[in-house]
Amino acid sequence: MKMPAIMFALVVLLTASGSHRVQAQFLHPKVTAKETTIRTVVVLPAKVNVVRDSMKGPEGMAAESDELSARVATMVSEVLSKQKHVATLPSTKPSDDADQQKYNVADFQTKFDALLPKIMKKRSDVKQGRFTMGDEVLNLNLDKGADAVVFIRGEGKKLTGGKTAFRMMVGGTPAYLRLMIGIVDARNGAVLLYTDPEFTGDPTTAVDRLRNALEKGFKKLPQINPQ
Amino acid sequence: MFPRKLTNLIVAALLYCIVFTSLCPLASAQKKTAPVEATPPPVNETFKFGEVDLEVLEQSELLDTKLERDGLVLADEAANAYVRRVGQALIPQGLKLERVTWRFRIVRDPQPNAFALPNGSIYVTTGLLTLIDNESQLAAIIAHELTHVMRRHTYVQNRSNRKKFLTMNVMAAVGAYAPGGIVGAVITVVTTVAPFIMMATIYGYSRDLEREADLKGIDMMISAEYAPEEMVNVMKLLDTDIEGENIRLFYNDHPSLDERIKYLSSYLGGRADKVTQQMELNRERAAYFQKIEPVMRHDVQLAINGGRARSAVYFAQRLVDFHADSENLYWLAESYRALGPRTQKLTEKELTNSAMKDAQKKRVKRTAEEEERDLLATPAGQDNWQKHQQSAAEFYQRALNAENPVPVAHRGLGMLHEKLGRGTEAVAEYEKYLELSPTATDRERIQRRIEALKEKLK
Repeated sequence: MKMPAIMFALVVLLTASGSHRVQAQFLHPKVTAKETTIRTVVVLPAKVNVVRDSMKGPEGMAAESDELSARVATMVSEVLSKQKHVATLPSTKPSDDADQQKYNVADFQTKFDALLPKIMKKRSDVKQGRFTMGDEVLNLNLDKGADAVVFIRGEGKKLTGGKTAFRMMVGGTPAYLRLMIGIVDARNGAVLLYTDPEFTGDPTTAVDRLRNALEKGFKKLPQINPQ
Repeated sequence: MFPRKLTNLIVAALLYCIVFTSLCPLASAQKKTAPVEATPPPVNETFKFGEVDLEVLEQSELLDTKLERDGLVLADEAANAYVRRVGQALIPQGLKLERVTWRFRIVRDPQPNAFALPNGSIYVTTGLLTLIDNESQLAAIIAHELTHVMRRHTYVQNRSNRKKFLTMNVMAAVGAYAPGGIVGAVITVVTTVAPFIMMATIYGYSRDLEREADLKGIDMMISAEYAPEEMVNVMKLLDTDIEGENIRLFYNDHPSLDERIKYLSSYLGGRADKVTQQMELNRERAAYFQKIEPVMRHDVQLAINGGRARSAVYFAQRLVDFHADSENLYWLAESYRALGPRTQKLTEKELTNSAMKDAQKKRVKRTAEEEERDLLATPAGQDNWQKHQQSAAEFYQRALNAENPVPVAHRGLGMLHEKLGRGTEAVAEYEKYLELSPTATDRERIQRRIEALKEKLK
């Protein structure tokens, strides 16, 4: 009878280690010291990718990922507004050169993608003000009133029925969504906040869990006085 | 009811049978290598769409939309039309394929790569277009990708991957249920170790499919009057590793270069002897560069933005050698400025596997600014920095002295002066730039720099 007990303990341990991560938020020293205040933000299009994990391997969910990306971006705006009174401005001003404008946004998103692994490697260094994206942020042609730019990345997994049953038998990662959110100063490119909220459960349908995770994710961001 | 231990044994035995019956055909299939002369027909006529394939097709359509929407497709109509013309010339006349619409597009990515979606979308990166030397080499790349679509390789590979994943899951189950002893131990080891091997065959197409694409590609090149030996030349070019990344996505999981050259040369045989006038024309470097020049400039900019300064210098120099106009000189100057304290070429020692691994680790840890700071702390870094800033200044000046000078050269010079601590000169160059480009998209950025510098100079 020892074997099933050890197996059970292992499954519990694997499940727990797979689903639980330390959630944290890291603020730039100027935000902590309230030298920099975030009143208005521009939320750039989120890039959240989810896959359907079946017994026959992971399958892309391009349409669902797009839908979820839009939902996450909207919810980030809602949470920032409701919880912190931070207003969201329209993404970018219209430009004479629409292609160039599109490239600028795409290139800046790529730049964030390149910086993200470095931030994730040592998230606490955001507190030292170590990360910046440079003043190229001004090329985004944002609204003059924007204080910061929000970058959202995410990865998630939805399990099929077969895979869920399989996981119950032998363990493995549950369905989850993990977001990586960076808030960058719209004037000098400094990374002002990094947070990575996450939750377990079907990422394509969980609305309340997503909201809760985001609310926790922005908990430390100082609230501004509503005007 | 069976005792628990016996149940475990039965489950393990059953799963063990499933694993080995599904692995055996796989193993024998891996061993088969088609003779060089025997290539299948251009189209996979036996292929029938199933539900799984339609899902892949739908994902491909969405991927097309996503690439376009995210600003990753180059909006240069002339360049896209050129790639389209080369692609269309390779498609056998009158060919109609179910659920395939041919589209040829350039993607904004400095890494040399090309890929085909099963719906007929062929993508070539700016990095690849900048690396190659002539239209025939472009045709070689496209012909290879066209074969993947025509022979339905994505669907075939996807079906195969699904089987392998099922096997992996079953192996995991056997491993978990194994009641101990030899069966459990072996399977557990396979499950732990094999994913590396299995993943190698899962990502990208299998060797046989890649080989098929290479050989069919040669047939298509000859039919469209492209010199087939350019397929071998493009392979060699793709082996260039300027950044020491060893990232060769176009054929990451393809057969090794030596192996590829060997079977391609063998297949070419007498086929390469018949050289037509059109084949010679399609090999002209200058004609190709003329058509692709704006793409090459764009790629240099992407390389600089992506921290690939060595590639930027290499390609900008090729641009200047071809056509030393103000814009190309400006891009060479920008590339040297971006190179900063780094060496222009990696040494043999830096290109060893262990050195590249170390560099990769550092790249993940350090930001570009930190890398520059660390290099500047060394005498060699200081030397490089001075040398490259000097080259940059010289090329900016040449860009400004050339016919129809580009105003951005003033901005570049301004940034160079600012870095060197020459505030007054920097402000003068920035102001000149804004005067000449009143509607510049980076106007606000430069104005802020001017204000900050003026504040410092007070």
